[in-house]
Amino acid sequence: MTLDAAFRATEVLIALAFLQQSAEFMLRSGVERAIFAVRIVACLTLLFGAQTELALLVLVVISLWMLHRFQGPHNGGSDRMSLLILWCLTLAQWMPTLFWQEVIFGYLAFQLTLSYFISGRVKIVNPEWRSGRALRDVFAFSAYPVSENLRQLSKRPRLLWAASWAVILFEVVFPLALLNQTLLIAALCIGASFHLSNAIFFGLNRFVWIWVAAYPSLLWFEGRVFGDVF
Amino acid sequence: MVRLFFLLLPGLIPSWEFFKAIEPSPRVQWRLFSVPLEDGEGWNEFRPRPQRLSLLTILRRLFWNPRWNDSLYLVSLSERLMLNPTQHSVDEIFDRLNFYVSAPDPVEEGPLNLQFRLIFVRREGEQIAESITYMSEPRIYRGRT
Repeated sequence: MTLDAAFRATEVLIALAFLQQSAEFMLRSGVERAIFAVRIVACLTLLFGAQTELALLVLVVISLWMLHRFQGPHNGGSDRMSLLILWCLTLAQWMPTLFWQEVIFGYLAFQLTLSYFISGRVKIVNPEWRSGRALRDVFAFSAYPVSENLRQLSKRPRLLWAASWAVILFEVVFPLALLNQTLLIAALCIGASFHLSNAIFFGLNRFVWIWVAAYPSLLWFEGRVFGDVF
Repeated sequence: MVRLFFLLLPGLIPSWEFFKAIEPSPRVQWRLFSVPLEDGEGWNEFRPRPQRLSLLTILRRLFWNPRWNDSLYLVSLSERLMLNPTQHSVDEIFDRLNFYVSAPDPVEEGPLNLQFRLIFVRREGEQIAESITYMSEPRIYRGRT
C-alpha cells in the first residue's frame, strides 16, 4: 500500500469511526451536543475528501476540548487510539517532507503493533491470566459482560483457559506478522475478529471501528520496511 | 494548558496494558429521598445489565451503543474517584443520575434529595465480595433540567 493510499484509507476509516462515536453524543444537550454536531460535519468533510487538512485540524481542536470536558478519555482505550490516529494523521499531513511524513505514520504503525504485543506481554507474565483465572474474573464480576447470562461463562474454566491462551498467543506473536504481507493480512483479520468478539461480549463497540482505522498504517509500514527484505 | 498536556500525553504515548490485572469493579447505586434514610435504605443499582440480549440488539449495539458507552465512562469516573477524587467526577456522576433517574410521584415532605454510593466488587479466594467505598453527600434532585 502506498503512503497516499494509506493516508486516504485512514481518513475514511477514522471519519466513519468518529461519526459513530459522535452520533452517540447527540443524545446529550447544550454545548456538548453542539460541539459533537460540528465534529460530525468535520467527519463528513473528511469522509468525502474535501478540505481534509482543515477537517483534521477541527477534529484535533475538538479532541483537546473532549480531553478537557471529560478530564481524560471518555471511553478509555478507544479514545486513546482515536487520539493517536488523529494526531499522527494530522501531523503527518502537515509535515513538509516525505521523510517526516513517513516517520510519523510509521510511529502510528509501531504503536498499533505495540498495542497487541504489550497487551499480550502483561498477560503472559501474569499467572492469573495463564491459568484462565483472570478471564473468569472478567466474566464473574467485572463491569464489562453485557448481560447477566454471560456471567455464567465464568463457570466454564476450561473454555476460558483456552480463550485466554488464544488471546495471549495472538497478541505476543502479532509483531511477527510484519514479516510477510499475507501473514499480516491474516493477523489483521484475526485482530478485527478479536475486537468484534469484545464488542459482542463486553459492549466495546468503539474499539472495533477505531482499531481497524489504524490498520492501513500497518499495511503501508510492512511494505515500506519489510517489503524489499523478504 | 499544562493539565491538558498531561491529559493528552497518554494518548500519544499509550501504555496499552489492557487488563493487566482484574481490579475490583465499581457499581453505582443511587437513592432519592425527601426525609432522611438510614445508611442502608432505599438504594437502587444504576443501569443494571439485562438478563440476556437478543442477537439483533447485539448487532445494533455494534453501531449504536450510547448508554453502554456512557456506563463505561461511569466506571472510569468511579475508579478516578477512588484513585484521585475530584469535583469533576462527582459532578459528572450526579449529572447522569439527574438525567436518567425518574422521580416518583410528588411527595409532600419537601424537595427530593439525590445521593449515590459506589460499591466495589472483587474476588476474595473463591468468593465474590462487595464493599461500599464511597458515599456522596446528598444534593437536591433536579431531574432533566
